[in-house]
Amino acid sequence: MITIDNLNLHYDKTAGYNTDIKETSTQVIFDLSLTINEGEKVAIIGPSGAGKSSLLHHLYQELQGNAALCSQRQGLVDNLSIYHNIFMGALARHHWLFNLVNLIRPFKKELSNVSSLCQQLELDQPLAKKVDKLSGGQRQRVALARALYQQQNIFIGDEPFSALDPLMASRLLETVLKRHKTVIMVMHDRELAMSAFDRVIALDKGHLVLDSQQHSVDHQQITALYQTSAVA
Amino acid sequence: MSQLQQVKNTHYPLGYWQKVTLSILLIALIILPFADIEIVNFDPFLELTRMVDGLMTPDFFATEYLFQAIIQTVNFAILGVCLGLILGTPLALIYQHPIISGCCAFLRAIHEIFWALLFLQIFGLSPLTGILAITIPFAATFARVFHDIINQSSDSPLESIDSRADIISRFTYGKIAQVMPQLMAYTRYRFECALRSSAVLGFIGMPTLGFYMETAFRQGHYSEGAALLIIFIALIGTIRYWCPPKLLGVYLVIACVTLIDIPNVDSSLLVRFISQDILPSALANASRLAEVQWSSLYTWFSTLISEQAIPGALATITLALLALAVSHIVTLNAHAMASKHLWPTPLTWLGQLILLIGRSVPEYILAFIFLMLLGPSMLPAVIALAIHNGCVIAYLTVKQSNSIAPQQMQMSKLNQFNYHIMPSIYPNMMALMFYRFEIIVRETAVFGILGIMTLGFYIDSNFSEIRYSNALVLITCTALLNVAIDILSRRLLKLPKTSQTSC
Repeated sequence: MITIDNLNLHYDKTAGYNTDIKETSTQVIFDLSLTINEGEKVAIIGPSGAGKSSLLHHLYQELQGNAALCSQRQGLVDNLSIYHNIFMGALARHHWLFNLVNLIRPFKKELSNVSSLCQQLELDQPLAKKVDKLSGGQRQRVALARALYQQQNIFIGDEPFSALDPLMASRLLETVLKRHKTVIMVMHDRELAMSAFDRVIALDKGHLVLDSQQHSVDHQQITALYQTSAVA
Repeated sequence: MSQLQQVKNTHYPLGYWQKVTLSILLIALIILPFADIEIVNFDPFLELTRMVDGLMTPDFFATEYLFQAIIQTVNFAILGVCLGLILGTPLALIYQHPIISGCCAFLRAIHEIFWALLFLQIFGLSPLTGILAITIPFAATFARVFHDIINQSSDSPLESIDSRADIISRFTYGKIAQVMPQLMAYTRYRFECALRSSAVLGFIGMPTLGFYMETAFRQGHYSEGAALLIIFIALIGTIRYWCPPKLLGVYLVIACVTLIDIPNVDSSLLVRFISQDILPSALANASRLAEVQWSSLYTWFSTLISEQAIPGALATITLALLALAVSHIVTLNAHAMASKHLWPTPLTWLGQLILLIGRSVPEYILAFIFLMLLGPSMLPAVIALAIHNGCVIAYLTVKQSNSIAPQQMQMSKLNQFNYHIMPSIYPNMMALMFYRFEIIVRETAVFGILGIMTLGFYIDSNFSEIRYSNALVLITCTALLNVAIDILSRRLLKLPKTSQTSC
């Protein structure tokens, strides 16, 4: 489905908040080759700063139009309600006129769809509530619901459960895995990653250090990965 | 010994804002001798006591057609703002194009009064003149400010929206929805400005509150004038009660119904104005290009520039710079007056009321009042501009400073104010001040109609002498001057990049 060959990614510091021109871009991914097949459920793990998000966004860009992204930045629109934020997932399915009218007066059918999706994600808030009134965990589930509402075959998630308790996280992960053919997800929880996904990829300092498809992975190896990085 | 030496040499350079502040005051001091600021009136106190008398005994029933004047003032403002929104919003989406932004800067730089003087020649005293005079500069302002607001919104919602969605859906959900409250707040603020502009159009004869105000003040009927002023301030101070956004549609319908009849536009007049009246005589009299007397055209143009445009521009800049310095002083005092960090809450209400009065009265009317008191010189204009702009900036700064939590430290209120509050708000206050400078320059030109020898004075005289070509050239000069000052001040100053759009 997607193959990347000797990928090198640079993070341009000048594009961010850092406006100092002397700072040049830093490399975050080094010579990374990877093939992901249709139907695979892939977890990406690794210590912070390993380049997981950069890799994930690159994959999303490559799959443009065929994947739903649930990014760490969430990208919720604070002035809109829960309903409208989730409906944003369906924008591509409707004519712009439908979308504009829906912005002013929500359609019944869409409302009931969104409402049942919220129930599945254990989000028991009134749909008309603005998202800036929500807690971190609730916001995260709205962002997740929006990605699910895109109804794509491929789901790309960047730690979509980081603000949820472990039990809820595993329940929601099950929902996500069930609703998508292919799932690529950066996981915060190593245990969950290894138990729920059929393939685990580990990154460290921009290098692919582990791929469970090729090696059999034991827990010690992964724990060691996090420890060495923490020391360095 | 060496340590002592070091201590002696410790020099403490001036901070950036200290330098900026000192330069503003220094420039004002340098140009002061060149400005015409004497008090010409022999007995200002006689006039003052009569005015205070009038203020004490406002007469609300002296004005005939008072209700109609209020309605027309509101009508022009509502229709002007609505048309401005209709024209300006689409422009905001393509504002990044240099031609669009250039044109908008030019249109914005011409004051409502000059637009009105121009349209007056074509449409006469028709409501069309008043509405268009507000619509055009407001559309240009909406275009720029909306563009800035939309640009400052985050891109991250767009990232998660399916890229196959059409551009209109992506833009409304991902961008517009984010900034809708800011857009609404700015529109509300501009409505307040439109009410002021609408009133000021009365000074050139439109049937708004300003017309009756001018008449009353000119004839010395201060009780009537005071009543009109109080009504006007109350109108602006209570906008949020009588014009909630939900009722805007209703008001729009009312405005269209109650608008005095629009007389038919005489198209031959329009054609004549464009093809004959606004052309300089050397061009208008020539039927073919070959007959144009280039030398007389050149003489006309160079005389106009050297005798009117340059002296007018110099007076405009002088007045604006003086007004900037005095505004700064007024702002500091007015802010201190209404700050809750200095005074108990009931006293700050009084300060807020003074700020409301200061910012509600159009500077034009303030200048008019001071002109009666002090006689014709630059002084009334400087005072009027300083009071109005000082109060506007102070009002916005007080909003910010009142939201700052006091330091958890044992210190007196005054120390708290000087060491914590002022340093936190000062950069923002100065930024507001420089954004206001563009507006000061723009307003400065208008004082010409009151007889102060700025560019506006020459424009007004040319209109009354039916020399439209001269007036048009001078209006263009005014606009170019404003655009140049705007560009220059942006280049020179590193202003904090906050959204100072509500200014």
